[in-house]
Amino acid sequence: MVESGGAGGGGELVPGTLEMMILKTLELEPRHGWGITVRIEQISNGVFRVNPGSLFPALKRMVRAGLLKEEWRATENNRRAKYYSITRRGKTRLEAETKQWDRQISAIARILQAS
Amino acid sequence: MSILKNLGAGLRGLFRKKTTERDMDEELGSYLDAAGKEDTRAGISAASANRAARVRMGSVESVKEGIRAATWESTLESLWRDLLHGLRVLVRRPGFTAMAVLTLGLGIGANSAIFSFVDAWMIKPLPYPEADRLMAFLAHNTKTGTEWDQVTSTADFVDFQKQTKTFESTVAWNNWNFNLTGDGPPALVEGGLVNWGFFDSLGVKPELGRSFLPDDDKAGAPHVAIISSGLWQGRYGGDPNIVGRKILISGEPYSVVGVMPASFQFPIMGIANIWAPMAMSDKALNDRSNSWFSAFGRLKPGVSQEQAATELAGLMDTLEKEYPNTNKNSTMLLSPLPYEIGKEEGTEQVMICMWIVSLILLIACANVASLTLSHAARRAKEFAVRTATGATRGRLVRQLLTETLVLFFFGAIAGVGFGVLGVDWIVAQIPDHVRGYLVNYGRMSLSYTTVAFTLAIALFCGLIFGIAPAFQTSKLDVNGILKEEAGRGGSSGRSGRLRRVFVVGEVVLAMVVLIATTLLVKSFVVAARSGVGFDTENVMTAQVTLPPAKYKTDAQARNFTDDVLARLRSLPHVIGAAVTSGLPYGGFGQTVIVDAAAKPVTQPGEQLGARFSAISADYFSAMRIPLLEGRTFNSNDASGMERVAIVNRRLADKLWPDRDAIGQQLKYGDDNTVATVVGVVAGIKMYQVRARPERQMYVPVEQAPSKNLGFAVRTEGDMTPLPAAIRAAIWGVDADQPISGVDSFDTLMAIQDAGNRVVTKLMGFFGVLAAFLGAIGIFGVMAQTVAQRTREIGIRMALGAEPGRVMRSVIVQGLKLTSVGIVLGILLSLATTRWLAVMLYQVAPTDLVTFVTVPLGFALVAAAACYLPARRAMQVDPIVSLRHE
Repeated sequence: MVESGGAGGGGELVPGTLEMMILKTLELEPRHGWGITVRIEQISNGVFRVNPGSLFPALKRMVRAGLLKEEWRATENNRRAKYYSITRRGKTRLEAETKQWDRQISAIARILQAS
Repeated sequence: MSILKNLGAGLRGLFRKKTTERDMDEELGSYLDAAGKEDTRAGISAASANRAARVRMGSVESVKEGIRAATWESTLESLWRDLLHGLRVLVRRPGFTAMAVLTLGLGIGANSAIFSFVDAWMIKPLPYPEADRLMAFLAHNTKTGTEWDQVTSTADFVDFQKQTKTFESTVAWNNWNFNLTGDGPPALVEGGLVNWGFFDSLGVKPELGRSFLPDDDKAGAPHVAIISSGLWQGRYGGDPNIVGRKILISGEPYSVVGVMPASFQFPIMGIANIWAPMAMSDKALNDRSNSWFSAFGRLKPGVSQEQAATELAGLMDTLEKEYPNTNKNSTMLLSPLPYEIGKEEGTEQVMICMWIVSLILLIACANVASLTLSHAARRAKEFAVRTATGATRGRLVRQLLTETLVLFFFGAIAGVGFGVLGVDWIVAQIPDHVRGYLVNYGRMSLSYTTVAFTLAIALFCGLIFGIAPAFQTSKLDVNGILKEEAGRGGSSGRSGRLRRVFVVGEVVLAMVVLIATTLLVKSFVVAARSGVGFDTENVMTAQVTLPPAKYKTDAQARNFTDDVLARLRSLPHVIGAAVTSGLPYGGFGQTVIVDAAAKPVTQPGEQLGARFSAISADYFSAMRIPLLEGRTFNSNDASGMERVAIVNRRLADKLWPDRDAIGQQLKYGDDNTVATVVGVVAGIKMYQVRARPERQMYVPVEQAPSKNLGFAVRTEGDMTPLPAAIRAAIWGVDADQPISGVDSFDTLMAIQDAGNRVVTKLMGFFGVLAAFLGAIGIFGVMAQTVAQRTREIGIRMALGAEPGRVMRSVIVQGLKLTSVGIVLGILLSLATTRWLAVMLYQVAPTDLVTFVTVPLGFALVAAAACYLPARRAMQVDPIVSLRHE
């Protein structure tokens, strides 16, 4: 689960969005586990901090599902780390989920405005 | 493709577990490392940064567990672990395991054995194509309401045969015995006389040769026969040229035109080895007053039983108007042939066996549920600990499920074992003679469908009544359970109450089964002790049928009888030899219509029947049937002299209720033969051990020569040499005379009573089984109660309670529970045993002795079941029990 954290505080994240966010962070370049955590924290302005207890099982699931590829590489600090990169299937999934997310968001927004 | 990849990755994960684990460690290590670095950069000391990272991650182990759980192979792995754990748990508690496996095994075994029979003999379709189109004809008297499995008369049937539009074919058949001579010793072979379309209507074809043709079935046609595969392989040594070979039946040559495959069977015909066409004469075909054969037909496709029955009833109505003399009140009904065959086999005995085993299955289920419940409840603490340390509820349920399945797996194995034993045992109990009437000759094997079915029922009970409640308890109050003392946890409250309900239910059912089986066994014993009216011991019998072609005159038959009797009487140690046309428990029997000669003509339907036997003069002394009044026959009652008869007491009382029978005249048979009664004898049971003697009458065989002869030879010596000596005596008179059977009376009666004997033995077994299962239930619940009360007992003993008193209190507690069940069981039995009445012989369904002794006996068993736990309670060492965790 993605926890809301950090000084800024924030609301609960809609469940099931972790995979989408992981795919998004990997869209441009491969990252290792910590890299993904940092990236999500950065983009969300520190609102979301991913717990490793949720992150690693999710990564494992996504690799198995063929959405990600994993590979050992040396880090910038010359340590071996497992890097995850997005596959074609992962990209397709990201597009589909983004579209659906957008639709849902605008629908929810309309409902909220209507009242 | 991705599924394959996933599978590949999973398998790699499974087999290269070390690499996977190292990977995981390294990845998490580098993550912590990187996280620490980041925080250090933010100005926090390395040590505290590292700590912060670790805190954020939580337990590394739990993260790893999460990663492992994300893959399918981990499910497999935990399943395997559960399996091993389940096995360990079972091994650690051998008492529980043994009881559960035994309970399941016996319950499943008994049920699958009995249901295998029901399935094989009553439910499975007959081995004929589209057997549902086969309909049997039943004669029906609309006035008396009687129904019998024959046609009303030959002419009625032939009329229908000619004009039916609903039947594709209709055929008559009748059992027939064939005297086979030549090609070895003379033999009496059972078989049938049939219409030519018999095999075609059933939809079966001979293995060799052809079926009968219409021309074979005409009076005066050349004799033809179709034989069974068994007869072909046996008597004719598998002769490849059997088709076309001439065989001698009653001295006349018959051409074999076909051989039926070994699998062919027509169960209501019994053991059949020869079939010949009926080839009725025109006179026989036009006979509207006699009925001597059965019939069935195959409906045209798409025709319903109702349509055919309507057509048949229409014709019978017309015939009734046209021939009021013969056809008054008589009509015919249709009944599916498979049903008629199943009916023969699905007697009340089988139905009662079914009910009894169903009850036993219920007892077994209650037992299993109760055992599972205690097993699960006992482990409430273990589960509470695991819940507290983070195991999910689903995980625990899965583990418990796996363990239960392991247990049931062994139960199923035991069940199959007991089932196979049971089936083999029952099959072995069927006398060969009876096998012919059973589908597939009584051969059968355990039906694994029924094993699976009964296992599923037991599993359902175990899961729903056993695990669910136990789990509920453990889940609802984790804290409470953890705080509670070991041994007390979980066994209190709901699950304990539920167990007691199960045990009471078990006792109730066990009582019903015990009372029912005791009544049935008692009835059998009463019947066996009641005797049959004559002395069956040390009597050897032999039956022959004289071929009419060879024995054309009465004198020839008389000479044969006299010569054989003379030879039999001269045998060493023989103290009596007699002949009768209707040997008790033999194959032949004749019923005649009888009445006092003085009475006017009786109405049809009000006629009186009596068992008729033509006997030699010394029959009563040889059989030891007591003469009550008058005299027995003597040499003066010869042919041509005044006709005489002897009646049994029952017939005498019926014909002349108000006067002495001696000297009265009676008329009997189709031609109203008049005879003077010279004696009255006691009645004997000629056909059924469990019936009161029928009306019986005897005439001298000299005055009524018979082709069916049953010899009874009483010896004061050893029975073993008798059969050979009797055969020699008969063949010494006529070397070509077949002998249908040489058996002692004990054997003949065993054949007749085979069904009752098997059922009685089964009932005895089921009764013991029910008592045993009930006792296990009581034992289980009491053992648990004692375990639960260990502390309390320890305190009481520390305060000075006597061990004997403690023990008594435990037994009393157990008996209280039992007595509730016993009382309810007695009430339920009182309400249900009347269904057994049809099977009881001289035992009331509410037999007082049974209803008193069985509950007392069961109470004793229950006390014994409580004794072991009670003794354990008595041996409680106060110090140890108080320290007990």
